Amino acid sequence: FTLTFIVRTLLGESKEGSCRQKENCRPDGRELGEFRATTVNIGSITTADGSALVKLGNTTVICGVKAELAAPAVDSANKGYIVPNVELPSLCSTRFRSGPPGEEAQAASQFIADVIENSQIIAKEDLCIADGKLAWVLYCDIICLDYDGNILDASTFALLAALKNVQLPSVTINEETGLSEVNLKQKNPLAIRKHPVATSFAIFDDTLLIVDPTAEEEDLATGTVTVVTDEDDRLCSVHKPGGSPLTGAKLQDCISRAITRHKEVKKLIDKVIKSIKPK
Amino acid sequence: MPLDHRRLHGPEDSQPPELWAARPRDAGGGEEGEESGAAPRDPCALRPLFARAGLLSQAEGSAYVELSGGTKVLCAAWGPREAAEPGGAVGAGRLLCDFRRAPFCARGARPRPGGAAEREAEREAAAALREALEPAVRLSRYPRARLVVSALLLQDGGSALAAAVSAASLALADAGVEMYDLAVGCALCRPPPGDRDASAAGPWLLQPGEAEERGSAARLTVALLPALNQVSAVLGGGRGGEPEGWAAALRLGVEGCQRLYPVLRHCLLRAARRRDGA
Repeated sequence: FTLTFIVRTLLGESKEGSCRQKENCRPDGRELGEFRATTVNIGSITTADGSALVKLGNTTVICGVKAELAAPAVDSANKGYIVPNVELPSLCSTRFRSGPPGEEAQAASQFIADVIENSQIIAKEDLCIADGKLAWVLYCDIICLDYDGNILDASTFALLAALKNVQLPSVTINEETGLSEVNLKQKNPLAIRKHPVATSFAIFDDTLLIVDPTAEEEDLATGTVTVVTDEDDRLCSVHKPGGSPLTGAKLQDCISRAITRHKEVKKLIDKVIKSIKPK
Repeated sequence: MPLDHRRLHGPEDSQPPELWAARPRDAGGGEEGEESGAAPRDPCALRPLFARAGLLSQAEGSAYVELSGGTKVLCAAWGPREAAEPGGAVGAGRLLCDFRRAPFCARGARPRPGGAAEREAEREAAAALREALEPAVRLSRYPRARLVVSALLLQDGGSALAAAVSAASLALADAGVEMYDLAVGCALCRPPPGDRDASAAGPWLLQPGEAEERGSAARLTVALLPALNQVSAVLGGGRGGEPEGWAAALRLGVEGCQRLYPVLRHCLLRAARRRDGA
């Protein structure tokens, strides 16, 4: 019942007239388990140390990583910092106003921070240059340029691609003077330990699950769930902020779909990284 | 500094690695290097501009402008919609502008998003943008309505405000807002006086790059309505010298805008064709 209701509601202006006859079809013609076309562009922002632009259908997200130096925190003297920041400016959609980050942006930033922490995408110990004295801080700024649903997937993907693109200058501490010397000519890439990929689903009426929801589908959904997996087919995190309940079996389906999606995304990222000529 | 509860925090203070970069030459040799770099640049040369309209799905009108050398501006426009205050003065509509800089747009230190200095600079730029666009839009056709323009600077390679003005007028035109003309922006800067001749500053350069802008003694941004040949906004300051120099700079800026105009018109035509064809 629910799916045909949604299809009738949204199909008013849709050109996919043939969709009315087909069962289990979404307004843009996709299957229930089908993702939108994904494109990645790496290294376009030269002022940032690493950058990536990801398009998931219409949803466009850009991530820029800037690396700075700071003293490590007192309680973790051998760790650097990774600070994510998701921004949903008024540019991307009429539902956001200009000003300080709203609820959704804060929730997205926290989600990205959790993914970084849980999946150990970068070991913070790798960012430390001298224990207790100097460490790298990676400021990852993720800005949404066009909001058409599924912002979490696109942001995680953009973050991963940007981190793979980061080149850090080599820093040495001069033994006699104790000052640090930065060599901007010699750059090293980051050591990416794991590759987490997020897959989001929208839940309708406790039973129906669709993958990669657009903004309209998200608004009509009764709940959402995001599953993050890494390349060893291990689960990094499951994010289900309230919404209608989900049976264990359905959740298992989500996890398997996420594992399949991970392989597709990994292949895409590897292809893009290989295509960039080393500077 | 008061703690910003809405954003995640890193360390309280961090510095960009460039501060400690080993300098390849010392101060004496450095100036010679800069002068020989500045000489070959033709002051009237315009940087190649790439413009494309109609690329965001959620905005009624959008435009992306890129200047070679790295300035990238994305702009979205909506309008008209109901004015926020119900008891507003009866009369022409309002144009609301917003200008944001991405935290990774500048070379060097990353400014803290939400900091007071950032917000002040953004507000100034938004006011300048509004000043440049208002004469171009037929606000009398949208009484009691508001038109919203939102610009985002992705990478700053010099002449950012000028590129934003051009992008914003393209976005408004793409949204179908009635306009008298497109507002085209052009920036100029004047390098500081050289070592040998302390009195005369260098010539005015059109569309400076980022390094030129940073080391300049005076800057100027001109916004022009080319078909009507009217200047809609002038924003500038610095130690430029005598008034004739500024007048010459304004003429140079106006000429630069006239030369950029065909590129922007062509971009709009292509967007309209694409929209009709789809």
